[in-house]
Amino acid sequence: MGVSRRSLFRAGAGALAAPALLSGCGSSVSGRKELVFWQFYAPTPVGGSPDVVKQSQWFTRMVNDWNAQHETKIRLEYVTVLGNPKLATAFAAGEGPDIFLLSPGDFARYYNGGVLAELTPYMEPEAVKDFFAPNMATRTADGKVYGLPMEIEPLAMFYSEQAMESAHLAESDLPRTWDQLLDLGDKLRTRKAPPIMLPNLPGYYQNFTWYPFLWQTGADAVRHGRSGFDSAGARSALQLWRDCIQTGIAPRTSPVPDSDAVAGLGGGYATMSLSGIWTVAAFKYRKPKYRYGVIPLPTPAGGTPRTALGGWAFVANARGRDPETAAKFCVWALGSMAKESIQRVVDWCTVAKSDIAPRASALAAGRASGGYDHPVMKKFADEIFPTGRGEPRYPPVVYKAISDAIQQCEFAGADPAAQARLAGDTIDAYLTSYRGVTIL
Amino acid sequence: MPATDTSPAADAPVRPARARTTRRGWVRFAVALVLAVAAVFPLGWMLSGSFRTPDDVFSPSLLPAHPTLHNFSYVLTQVAFPRYLLNSLIVAVVVTVVALFFHSMAAYALARLRFPGRDTIFVLIFSTLLITFPVILVPLFLIVHTLGILDSYAGIIIPSIFNAFGIFLLRQFYLSLPRELEEAAIVDGCGYWRVYWKVILPLSRPVFAALAVLFFLANWNAFLWPMVVTTSTDLSLVQVGIAAFQQQHAADWNFSLAASTISALPTLGLFVIFQRRIVESIKTSGFK
Amino acid sequence: MTGLAVGERSARGASATRTTRRLSRRSRERIAAGLFLAPDVLGLALFVGVPMVVCIVLGFFQVDGFGGYTFIGLDNYRRMFADPLFLGSLKTTLLYLVVLIPGLFVVSLALALLIRQKFPLVGLFRGAFFAPNVISLVVIGLIWKFMLTDQSGFVVRVLGFFGISSPSWLGNPHLALWMVVAVTIWFAMGYYMLIFLAGLQDIPREYYEVATIDGAGVWQQFRHITWPLLKPTSFFILLTSTVSMLTGGIDLIYVMTSGGPANSTSLIIYYIYEQAFVYGEYGYASAIGAFIVAILLVWSVGLFALTRGGRFNDARD
Repeated sequence: MGVSRRSLFRAGAGALAAPALLSGCGSSVSGRKELVFWQFYAPTPVGGSPDVVKQSQWFTRMVNDWNAQHETKIRLEYVTVLGNPKLATAFAAGEGPDIFLLSPGDFARYYNGGVLAELTPYMEPEAVKDFFAPNMATRTADGKVYGLPMEIEPLAMFYSEQAMESAHLAESDLPRTWDQLLDLGDKLRTRKAPPIMLPNLPGYYQNFTWYPFLWQTGADAVRHGRSGFDSAGARSALQLWRDCIQTGIAPRTSPVPDSDAVAGLGGGYATMSLSGIWTVAAFKYRKPKYRYGVIPLPTPAGGTPRTALGGWAFVANARGRDPETAAKFCVWALGSMAKESIQRVVDWCTVAKSDIAPRASALAAGRASGGYDHPVMKKFADEIFPTGRGEPRYPPVVYKAISDAIQQCEFAGADPAAQARLAGDTIDAYLTSYRGVTIL
Repeated sequence: MPATDTSPAADAPVRPARARTTRRGWVRFAVALVLAVAAVFPLGWMLSGSFRTPDDVFSPSLLPAHPTLHNFSYVLTQVAFPRYLLNSLIVAVVVTVVALFFHSMAAYALARLRFPGRDTIFVLIFSTLLITFPVILVPLFLIVHTLGILDSYAGIIIPSIFNAFGIFLLRQFYLSLPRELEEAAIVDGCGYWRVYWKVILPLSRPVFAALAVLFFLANWNAFLWPMVVTTSTDLSLVQVGIAAFQQQHAADWNFSLAASTISALPTLGLFVIFQRRIVESIKTSGFK
Repeated sequence: MTGLAVGERSARGASATRTTRRLSRRSRERIAAGLFLAPDVLGLALFVGVPMVVCIVLGFFQVDGFGGYTFIGLDNYRRMFADPLFLGSLKTTLLYLVVLIPGLFVVSLALALLIRQKFPLVGLFRGAFFAPNVISLVVIGLIWKFMLTDQSGFVVRVLGFFGISSPSWLGNPHLALWMVVAVTIWFAMGYYMLIFLAGLQDIPREYYEVATIDGAGVWQQFRHITWPLLKPTSFFILLTSTVSMLTGGIDLIYVMTSGGPANSTSLIIYYIYEQAFVYGEYGYASAIGAFIVAILLVWSVGLFALTRGGRFNDARD
């Protein structure tokens, strides 16, 4: 059957030419090869909020620059959500885009499926070293690079200065430990102040925001090819989130969509919100005068400060129309030592968005040009980012086991010890038959 | 086919006990009023929210404190709405018309013509109703790809036409028609095509009206397939365009509600205008 | 179709014997049936049948979502019955259907009975009950999420105004599924109400008049007239609502709860979607899909068998 599906696809490729007349867009009949780049920034209709426009412009300018210098053209295609059925369906049918954006959570699946083109051959060794290693690890396999991150997005706690003041809380009340976090939550509750917001919809994003708490204890979900989940660390990290929800310190459903920090803090629905560095740009455009601050994620007693580094990467489809050119494009765009390439990263991370630049050279250039002068950005760059570890690339089964443990503890009030054991067993059972890229 | 505005047959069963029924009538009226208000309240809440400022959007007061059109103007400048509207209209209308035609033909054959394997074919057609769409999404995508109609109107439209529900309902309807009408026509020497065209189709008008509404709504509100099969934004349908907008502005309820209102207005508007016709045709179309 | 016309004319013109005429009529009927059925049957075969066969076949493979297929026999099915998440969502789905289907049935029937009689503005009320049905489930999900969310939701605010502290409607695993059920009933009741109205309309009013003269009360009239005569409609509604509630509604879950909290709203259809498009497990998703189709088949065949003899499947030859 597998064979017939593939040959079905091949037969289809031949039949594609004629009905292109029927197709609404079939304009690429210029004879020259055109590579398609799926992302969720451009082209976007004119108008709209300034950050969206800037991000769209960055993409358009990049592609125009490439097209002016190269024989093989790139076309931008706007795709609503990349983690959606569209990308999955397209790849399952052998019709995946030539270049696309990939988040760490999906890396293992796409790498193991053999659709990621290696980028190292087109990179100078110096450039490979220029990317921050803790963030690069989840895009690398056997020392080879398969994706170039465009941004680094660390997590932290954002708080509203106004909400703190009206609850008669001082800066010294900001929590540095888990116990202080729970204490603060209690105070907020008894003073009828807005609560602390944690992401609460099940999904990759919730897991991502929980991992730092796990790592701070020294535990890990997967270690040396085995589950490290049935551990004291995992139990206490689960217990922390369980306590937050079960005692009402954090709401069960987000009072604002997607636990959005700007809407939550800005609308007076939260005093504190676990969120990422992108919140800085969102405040700048949506509530420029709002007074907020940021602190590193609280740590357990005796734990080490940790955060998780998110962000998307450019990847090239190894089964696309021209994988070599696609790979070269990714390197040209973000990963060459050429001045334009570095500047592009600086622009994306400090002008179009508010992110940590994924390359040492770009971060230095960004600092020099004032991109990290804002006190919050400075704190992120100097204090929070260095404690970061790349968002893990756990395969779906591992992700789901962890997600269920978090959800069961938080919402069903389940016993963290039992949930940690259950998830650990599920992960171990999966790992015994798992073959593929090292799980990080 | 009763064309009056309320159901005549089952109305007011008791004439002598007028006083009692009237009192009961008022109770009914009150109960219906409360329920109806409750039923449309969430829609009204969406509408009200779409006129609110971001600070006001969570307020429990029924009306916006400072009504604004900003949300709408923002959504309309962000989303190429007229284009999406047109696309949705084309898709929904074409699917509806073609589907009604094909389904009534098939239903006529299944209800009226004698041929070997009729029951088997009917059961097979009916059983396609049981298939869940997400399960067949990937194979369907492959087929549409093989046909070379990915990212085209044809790719959205053609697979949406075939749906056993319409065939099933039309067959039930045709079974309930008196057989004598066509028998006479056949004895007169009419071919089956002419019987279908001259006798069956005109009789189908009420059930067509009802099905047309359902088909139109289903296609107007379709999301998953149109999103998967198209990539160029020129081909986006309303629901996909609105979803893309909401993706970007998920945090702003006021924008999301305005976008939702915009996507719901055409169907709600059509419904309000043709309410009586729609309700009557569904009611009298023999869905049973 | 022209071939048919020619056939007719020759049959009419020629002075054929009765037997040959009947024979030719039968074969003409068969050809006509074939032509009438062709567009839909071919379309359904190509766009539903073939994908379903592919899906059944895929159920025996491990699929990596990137063109890699490994034949694994019945492993997907074995995995299914050892997968606590699958079994959990099967349980959730059963619970959901057991409450939703009778609930929807009762509510729509009650609404139909309520507004079958003429009273002021009855058309408007009917419209109000049907209105939610014209809106997409994505929007429906969004509206209710907006109204039910903690702290800021309308429902919470209003209850709070009356001094009632409300639970977390969508954040409590014991409540979230019932919220989904309630919203689904609200969304679908108008449609099924209209179908019930159609059924009620077919009951001759004389029956009620006679019953009233005999002194039968409202309840007795319902039990002895309405209920028995409404059976075909009831069966139709049971059948179609079960199928459509089991195979649809992903959009609603996706928007309202994402299957949470703690998997409490992870219906089987959502689980299939997740397996296929979030985890890329097409083989496993296909196996579950095939299993669900099989269950629905049993349910429908059972209902058909039950209703044979009623008007419901009255294939009059």
